[in-house]
Amino acid sequence: MMKLNYLFPHRFKRIGTWILIPFILLGWYVVNYDIEPEIFDFNVPAIFVDEIMGEKFVFGMTENNILNEIVGVVLILSFLMVAFSKEKQEDELIAKIRLDSLVWATYVNYAVLLFSMIFIYGMSFFWVMIFNMFTILLFFIVRFNWQVKKLNKTMTHEE
Amino acid sequence: MKNSIKVERAKKNITQAELARLAKVSRQTINAMELGKYVPSTVLALRLASIFETEVNEIFTLEDTDWE
Repeated sequence: MMKLNYLFPHRFKRIGTWILIPFILLGWYVVNYDIEPEIFDFNVPAIFVDEIMGEKFVFGMTENNILNEIVGVVLILSFLMVAFSKEKQEDELIAKIRLDSLVWATYVNYAVLLFSMIFIYGMSFFWVMIFNMFTILLFFIVRFNWQVKKLNKTMTHEE
Repeated sequence: MKNSIKVERAKKNITQAELARLAKVSRQTINAMELGKYVPSTVLALRLASIFETEVNEIFTLEDTDWE
């Protein structure tokens, strides 16, 4: 019985991990120190531009440093690859653990967001929103792999 | 839900790994079912019955708690 499962091939998990780790470090560095090298300055097409004390328009071209966009795109894609690649043997028990972990990660992610919404203000909340773009996948990856590891550990050594 | 996978496996004299390969699932899944920690899908239950050349009812039995 073939079923569509919306997952990447197993090898994407490793490829994604190799991309993800350096880009997490790079991303942290870029946002933390506000790194915007000139070679990344481009005129880019935009649908909405609404800058504080700056230009506002719908559809047009705007000057932008695209380094943070590149890092963001690569981070999201590699996070997705790590999160949603098939396991070596993707069977129905793994599918159940995957679903449970996704529900769990969604709850935890919104619990963190609710807490932050109530207790964190100003620029700090803006940073929470930035991290929140990635944390749902991070929580999922941690929980899913921990559960799979736990399953492997409970294996009774027989015969 | 109770099951007699371990018993059926002993009758056939096959290991968890061999059964896993025949049923096209991981050894972890076979183990979790034997420990009563995982209830398989209908398809997997039917596969197991087919491998053991018996009926699903012979391998899996309902418990009172399954009605709660």
